Amino acid sequence: MNPRPSPVSPPSVPAKPPVAGRCAGQLLVGVGALGVAAVLAYGATSISSEAGYAGVGPNFLPWVVSGALAICGGLLVFEALTGGYRRMETPSGAPRGDWHALAWVSAGVLLNATLITTIGFILSCALCFTLAVRGLRASEGKLSGNLRQTVIDAVTGMLIAAPVYWLFTKLLAVNLPGLSSTGWI
Amino acid sequence: MVDILNQLLGGFATAGTPINLLWALAGCALGTAIGVLPGLGPAVTIAMLLPITGQVEPTASMIFFAGIYYGAMYGGSTTSILLNTPGETGTMVTALEGFKMAKHGRAGAALATSAIGSFVAGTIVTILVTLFAPVLAKFAVQLGPPEYFCLMLLAFTTVSAVLGKSTLRGMTALFFGLALGLVGIDQITAQVRYTGGVMEFMDGVEVVLVAVGLFAVTEAFYNALYEGRSANEMNKLNKVHMTRTEWRRSWPAWLRGTAIGFPFGTIPAGGSEIPTFLSYAAERKLAKPAHQAEFGTVGAIEGVAGPEAANNAAVTATLVPLLTLGIPTSVTAAILLSALQNYGINAGPQLFQTSGDLVWALIASLYIGNVMLLVLNLPLVGLWVKLLKIPKPQLYAGILIFATVGVYGMRQSAFDLYLMYGLGLLGIVMRRYDFPTAPVIVGLILGPLAEAQMRNALSIGEGSWLVFVQRPMSATLLVVVVLVLVTPRLLAWHRRA
Repeated sequence: MNPRPSPVSPPSVPAKPPVAGRCAGQLLVGVGALGVAAVLAYGATSISSEAGYAGVGPNFLPWVVSGALAICGGLLVFEALTGGYRRMETPSGAPRGDWHALAWVSAGVLLNATLITTIGFILSCALCFTLAVRGLRASEGKLSGNLRQTVIDAVTGMLIAAPVYWLFTKLLAVNLPGLSSTGWI
Repeated sequence: MVDILNQLLGGFATAGTPINLLWALAGCALGTAIGVLPGLGPAVTIAMLLPITGQVEPTASMIFFAGIYYGAMYGGSTTSILLNTPGETGTMVTALEGFKMAKHGRAGAALATSAIGSFVAGTIVTILVTLFAPVLAKFAVQLGPPEYFCLMLLAFTTVSAVLGKSTLRGMTALFFGLALGLVGIDQITAQVRYTGGVMEFMDGVEVVLVAVGLFAVTEAFYNALYEGRSANEMNKLNKVHMTRTEWRRSWPAWLRGTAIGFPFGTIPAGGSEIPTFLSYAAERKLAKPAHQAEFGTVGAIEGVAGPEAANNAAVTATLVPLLTLGIPTSVTAAILLSALQNYGINAGPQLFQTSGDLVWALIASLYIGNVMLLVLNLPLVGLWVKLLKIPKPQLYAGILIFATVGVYGMRQSAFDLYLMYGLGLLGIVMRRYDFPTAPVIVGLILGPLAEAQMRNALSIGEGSWLVFVQRPMSATLLVVVVLVLVTPRLLAWHRRA
């Protein structure tokens, strides 16, 4: 995903997004669809075809979906190779992604998934909140990461997560993991 | 007729109990709030709140969810008008004229016409739902598996081929959703499919998980990745008030919008995108020459009034196919269906008999909710606008906390949180490459139902596919499916030639 200016497009048309980068991405998406189709087909071979009265068994729809996705993937690849997807809406936002910011938000979500059962909902979500805020703030180009700000974010995260935890576990009887068995944290 | 009235009164009695009124109010308020906030739609919100179905009784939670559903429509228009960031496709047109009106100091009038228009449309359509839904349900009881399958086929086609810009990308999204729906235990033969030996996949992929991943998590990711530097300008809010001329210009547009929106919501070709655009086009054409110049320049009030009414009419009308056929035609309707499934309630023509109390209470709550929303949105609009002051980083990070509640609370599995993360990444790709997300959700929830209907239909036909064309009703539906697929292409081809 590094959209370099394409050698194909003449320099006189700067309004168009960099074609080469976009098309490479589009090609990958098409190949991805083909990949999913292949996985579905591989899985379908091990599904029984016992049909009963219907004449089609539990492996029928898997084959249909796999075949259809293969066709879609093929057409997507074709479109990507012949000038890009048709009738594309220019995606909103910056042409280049801020991967650094996304890494922070990703880390928040993944750590949350990893730690939620051990350190409990409130702490885990507060951690997720802190990391995500840091990433999102960095994407806005604002200063982020100093200690004071981080502490404020962590406290804010706790202030959101704790009432949510109490509301859902005490009032609505939804099971969420806690750090202790007191039911308060 | 008397019968319907009696049942409706019974519904009011159920919906009017203090506790249910509170649920309705909570739903409407929450719906308005998430409608105002960018990044959260009614579908995700209901999805995240689905775990409450374990504790709250069905009637109360359906009233609550329905309140969120149309509350979000009211709130969404506020954001479209003031911020020009339409939360969903239905309010895109509102943003077109409404934002221009607000820019020229008429935010109050735009907000008023959209709230009152939504109220008028919502109320009229609720009356229509009251009258038609029972009749349709009676008729639908006679439909067999072949007809159901064809109806679902129609829903698939319209949601993927007609609503988006590209049929190919819509279809890709649909089949991806169908593929997700295949995971788990086959309903008819109990055969295990595509679990890859992972225990968590035995129950299948939950629609909540996919909705939260593709909408809420993607929203946070996408904002971090691409939208950090996109600045929003916000229009000033002024007194919510319409002059006499503005009233005179608004009400015919409301009625026309309602008339356009209702049929689109009822047929399994849902979505409020087409009716809002149609209504906008109609208003633009029908406006007096003096007012026509306002379209696209200073903002014409008809261009807000009509589409807003059409949007609300279509949204309310999606309850008709949901309650009478069990076929969801929008993402939110799909989530509502899965809420009903959580209770073991099968939406379909029998619903009016088996869960009559619930259905009528739900319909009654629509009347009550519309009144509540008018109050919540006209005098109190200033309160909701304050929500727009929440800084983006905290807003999206907060959304991630709620996403965790919804996904983890569903079945207490951290595995689902990883899956949610993966779907969030997938959502970025889909959004960047302009793939629609609604077909994924509709395919996922309707896929297994359609498969069961298809195999039952084939059993009736003793293995012969002719069963779909031999029955007049299902043959007709198949013709409609073909027409839906072919007509736009023919028209485009004709225009080019």
